Amino acid sequence: MKRKGRIIFHVDMNSFYASVEMAYRPELKGKPVAIAGNPEERRGIVVTSSYEARARGVKTTMPLWQAYEHCPELIVLRPNFNRYREASKHIFSILSEATPFVQPVSIDEGYMDLTDYVGEENPIEFAHKLQQRILNELDLPCSIGIAPNKFLAKMASDMKKPLGITVLRKREIKHTLWPLDIGEMYGVGQKTAEKLKRIEIHTIGDLANKDVLTLKNLLGINGERLHQRANGIDNRPVDPDAVNEFKSIGNSTTLPYDMTDLTNIYKTFDQLSKKVAERLKYKNVVTENIQIMIRYHDRKTITRSKQLQDFIETKEEISGWAKRLFQQHWNEEPVRLLGVTAQHLTPKNELSKQLDLFNYEQEAEKEKLYLAMDQMKEKYGDEVFIQLRDPEPNISTSFQKDFLSEYKTEEKGSDS
Amino acid sequence: MKILIEREPLMNSIQNVMKAISSKTTIPILSGIKLEANDQGVKLTGSNSDITIESIIPVEEDGIVNIHEMVPGQIVVQAKFLPEIIRKLPDHQVEINVDSDLNLQIKSGHAEFKLNGQDAEEYPQLPVLQTDNSFDLQIDLLKMLIRQTNFAVSVSETRPILTGVHLKLENDLLELVATDSHRLASRKITMNDSEQLTFNNVVIPGKSLSELNKILDETQETIQVSVTDNQILFRTKNLYFLSRLLDGNYPETSRLIPNQSKTVVKVDSKELIESIDRASLLAKDNRNNIVKLVTKGQNTLQITSHSPEVGQVEETLETDSIEGEDLKISFNAKYMIDALKAIDSDQVSINFTGAMRPFVIRPEEDDEQILQLITPVRTY
Repeated sequence: MKRKGRIIFHVDMNSFYASVEMAYRPELKGKPVAIAGNPEERRGIVVTSSYEARARGVKTTMPLWQAYEHCPELIVLRPNFNRYREASKHIFSILSEATPFVQPVSIDEGYMDLTDYVGEENPIEFAHKLQQRILNELDLPCSIGIAPNKFLAKMASDMKKPLGITVLRKREIKHTLWPLDIGEMYGVGQKTAEKLKRIEIHTIGDLANKDVLTLKNLLGINGERLHQRANGIDNRPVDPDAVNEFKSIGNSTTLPYDMTDLTNIYKTFDQLSKKVAERLKYKNVVTENIQIMIRYHDRKTITRSKQLQDFIETKEEISGWAKRLFQQHWNEEPVRLLGVTAQHLTPKNELSKQLDLFNYEQEAEKEKLYLAMDQMKEKYGDEVFIQLRDPEPNISTSFQKDFLSEYKTEEKGSDS
Repeated sequence: MKILIEREPLMNSIQNVMKAISSKTTIPILSGIKLEANDQGVKLTGSNSDITIESIIPVEEDGIVNIHEMVPGQIVVQAKFLPEIIRKLPDHQVEINVDSDLNLQIKSGHAEFKLNGQDAEEYPQLPVLQTDNSFDLQIDLLKMLIRQTNFAVSVSETRPILTGVHLKLENDLLELVATDSHRLASRKITMNDSEQLTFNNVVIPGKSLSELNKILDETQETIQVSVTDNQILFRTKNLYFLSRLLDGNYPETSRLIPNQSKTVVKVDSKELIESIDRASLLAKDNRNNIVKLVTKGQNTLQITSHSPEVGQVEETLETDSIEGEDLKISFNAKYMIDALKAIDSDQVSINFTGAMRPFVIRPEEDDEQILQLITPVRTY
């Protein structure tokens, strides 16, 4: 990659559940609020609490009776997950307007890769706007960490709360990151911290300067990984599909008008299949199950899928099956939305392909190349060849977390 | 209608026509068996839209009397219960009576069943096959032809024409070809008396052939094969087996068969089957049931397979000879075993033209009558 560095945001909602409750009931603002499993029972446990409560010593996972000891006027609420899910959906839809590369990590935090999307704008100003927008539209505070990779962005978002915006540059880590206690490091749990402290690693800086071998012996592969992170190295991409780790890849679109003519419907399937094929290629996987979604004018929605005999990956193959499914299951009523999803994905390097008598020539032509590759692999190891990935994939993504994809299709529909 | 009949031939006939009867028929009367009694004997008919089978029980055959009493008539009986009823009757003789209200009475020993019949007039008229395109085959030979090809038909409806066996007769040479697009089985025989008969693009559904194979006994009697545009009829003295043909053009398969080779392996068929069978024990877990074959020095083959979660297996096999280039090739173990079993020869010769190209298996004493083609698996 020619670029100097990536621009990664980590967006972390501040005491999310409590903030959502306060957005619903503004009278709670400024008061110590805690969300707990069973407020009626004193044995309940604090799930999260407002900053006002935290200031009084209320902590997450603290039993309620203990929380009341710290803060007798604590307002304790039952969790209301539908509200949180709803709010989360809105947040991620705001984030995904800025870039398709949004990776939700949980209901209240996510990464964004803005390398290609901030344009001329200063990333810090951009972050401010994003933060303000979420605050204005949803009345929810968040902290944003800006860094060249996910790890540093995550560490950065943690540094200033609430409503913080922190930039963590790699060259600054000696001053900002290294002095922190090792237990503060993302990826270091209590057990790991204890182990590290036993070999005199107390700060992130200690870890960064320890030799890798010792760490590897102590913590295995994770030791090496933590060592890299402590040195500000983390190459993991922001992966919009990471949510459901290779289960399916799909795209859907709301049609500009309710359609009944096959020509345009087929054209839509071609477009959707093209996007799915691009994403399959990007993730280096193939599919053996194609699903389509049809939403009719009356919002009645059906999904139908077909298990295939062979793995497929090209847009022609995908759209061929999608159209076949459509022919079989369409009730001829006007269609409002169409979707194509590739399911049952398998990484390409784990599969084999049964050649076909009628078109094996396509593969056979490359036999000499494969042979040469095999010989080089035998000599130098499997790592000699890696599949080149388009560094700037021109891909439009849809998020697999259903609340996201639902939101987006609605959104597209009302835009057009 | 009335018949007094031996139970065993009746049971056989019922079992034969049952092969054509489907419980999921869209024409209700076809879920029944038609019984017809006339001077020649008793005729049973079963049919679905694809296959129609008629089985005739002659009054007397080879000096054995099958039917002791008869009043001509006809009736359609529900096929669902008839086989079990007849099978479990106590006596070796069965008496069947039909009254004018279509009530059917089955008596044997002290047992008596009363069943509701249906009017045989409502049973579809079967097409009378008009054709001059007929030839005779010995039954055991026909069964062998089916066994050697029919296993290779496609089970997927992606290309429906490939779910059938292609039949071609030209210059006294009858050829059967089946392929599922991954492997191909071909068998030829020379006909002596086909009298300039020529046809092509006759594609018999694989399912029809496997049912036919089940019904026919391994005998040296002849069977008459008649072909029309959309149907094929197999007829023996007491059996009439009519099948629909598949619509569409069968692909030209002769061009698929490589006419040169780079590596030729001659090997004992049984040893190869056993070795591949062992290797495939672990391969069954991976998707394409893949085994890998590698040529080694001193005429040996190495056969390996591995399954990431299970483990791996490796063995070497002495061959009679290996000529030509070194080779590493992966393929579906099942295809190989099917092919070797179909060839049914002690020694086989395998001709490879590279790891990405189909290879040909023939009996070593090549009489060009049987050939099995397998496309390899590409591993990444």
